[in-house]
Parts: sequence; structure tokens; C-alpha cells
Amino acid sequence: MAADTHMPILVVDDYKTMIRIIRNLLKQLGFEDVDEAADGKEALGKLKEKKYGLVISDWNMEPMTGYELLREVRSDPGLSKTPFIMVTAESKTENVVAAKKAGVNNYIVKPFNAATLKNKIDAVFAPAA
Amino acid sequence: MGISDSVELENELRKIADYIVALRREIAVLQANEMHMKKIPAAGQELAAVVSSTEGATNEIMAIAENVMSADASDPAGYKAFVDKEMMAIFESCAFQDLTGQRISRVVKTLEHIEARVSRFATYTGVQDEAGHANEAEADAAARRERLLLNGPSIADEGNTQPDIDRLLAALKGL
Repeated sequence: MAADTHMPILVVDDYKTMIRIIRNLLKQLGFEDVDEAADGKEALGKLKEKKYGLVISDWNMEPMTGYELLREVRSDPGLSKTPFIMVTAESKTENVVAAKKAGVNNYIVKPFNAATLKNKIDAVFAPAA
Repeated sequence: MGISDSVELENELRKIADYIVALRREIAVLQANEMHMKKIPAAGQELAAVVSSTEGATNEIMAIAENVMSADASDPAGYKAFVDKEMMAIFESCAFQDLTGQRISRVVKTLEHIEARVSRFATYTGVQDEAGHANEAEADAAARRERLLLNGPSIADEGNTQPDIDRLLAALKGL
């Protein structure tokens, strides 16, 4: 199953520049319905108001990090199935392991390119082998 | 107290006084006031300017890219002229790199200045580092960084590349 290009996507990053980059890359991939949030707390509020098909989140933000957002999402029965991709400069093994344990669907390390973003989104929505 | 005791005490006090005089000289050489009143704030301003100019240039370049992507390409000659003009604007936007390079060089020089003085002071006094934090806010920030794994971008060879992460995720598939 390919990703539905009509699904709403929530991009969470405290750098407007990065949101603009991801938004443009998503647009090139055919995704037009993209909302944004500047940190985990704002994202959580938006997730409770609207059903998103995918969350693409940075890790290092204040006051709520992307890691905390991921744990909140996975512990909320109404949100727990929402696909979640971490896009972050945090590239240490402990970060990847913690994110995986918390239920992340995929993990992209910054800087990244359009092909990587596309591959990771496709992998999240690919049928389980 | 005998005479020899008095002489010994006087010698000890003289050594302590000499040490205090020398220590005052080392503290003066440290230029702590200049560091925290001028050099460190100036370095902070330089770095803030670097962040601002890189952000500004990035946004300019992205705006140009967005313009090119959304431009009408039905008239090839007009489209080429438009793209050429926009490409020149990208070259102009890239001029930020020269200025940020100079600013960062100044920050590096400030860090070297501080390092030289702190190193000299630490060597002279021979003091051992104590664990802990300067204040509660610093302790809270460190605890938050540790709890939430806020390591920040890795230096080359420290973190994982994307292929490393992909392999790691594949290995952790059962989690």
C-alpha cells in the first residue's frame, strides 16, 4: 500500500526553515495537506483536534520534545496508531533505540534528501512482509 | 612561643602572602571581567548574527526555488530568462558564507583566548575540578538533556549515518 497523498500530515519542528524544507519536499512527493507545529505540545493539541495520517517530527524542541510527543501519542488510545517518523540531528544509537522502543515507525537523520524522505514514508506505508 | 617558632611562623605567613600576591596576579591575567563583560557577549552576538544570516540566506534561496518551481514554462525563452535571473539571485544570496566565515573565525579566536587564560590559571592554581553545576538552572538543563537524550548533532564519526540507522532499525524490528 502506497501512502495516500491526500492524507493530512503534521510536520513538527521548531525551525521554520526546516518546516519549509519538509513542506516543499512533501509537495514534490504529491502531499499537499500539510500542517505544522513548533514543538511537541503544540503538535499534541493539533493531533487531538484533527486526524492526521502521518506525523513527521524533530526530536530536540522545547518545551516538549519529539521523543516526549512520540510517547504521548503512543500512550493515547485515540492516537496510538498514528504513523510517526522522527527527522532529527540526534544520530546516536541510544536515540534510535529509545525511539524504536517508544514506537517510532521510521527514523531519518538530518541532513537528508527528498529520496530518503520518500523511501521512509513508503516504508511506513508498505504492507508488512 | 620560642624565637625559632616565631621565625618559622613568619616564614609561613610570608609564603602565604607571596602566594596570595601571585594568585591575584594570575586572576588579573585571567581577565575575567573582560571575558564575561565583553568577549563572551561579543562572541554570542557573532553567533546570533551567523544564525540570523544563514537563516535569511536559506529562506531567500528557498523562496527563489519555490518561484522557479511554480513559474510558467510555456514560453521557453521567457522561462529561461526568468530562471537565469533567479539563479543569479541564488549566487548573491550565497555571499552570506564569506561573512559568516569571518564571524566564526572571530568566535574561534575568542575561545582560544579564553582557553589560554583558563588553562594557565588552572595550571598555576593546581585546583581539581569538582563535579556538579554552577546553579539550579544549569543542573535542571543537564538533567533534562540526559533524561530526554538531547545529544544534539554529532561530530563526524560519533553518530550514526542513515544507512547505520536503517540497519539498526532492522535489527530492532522485534521491539
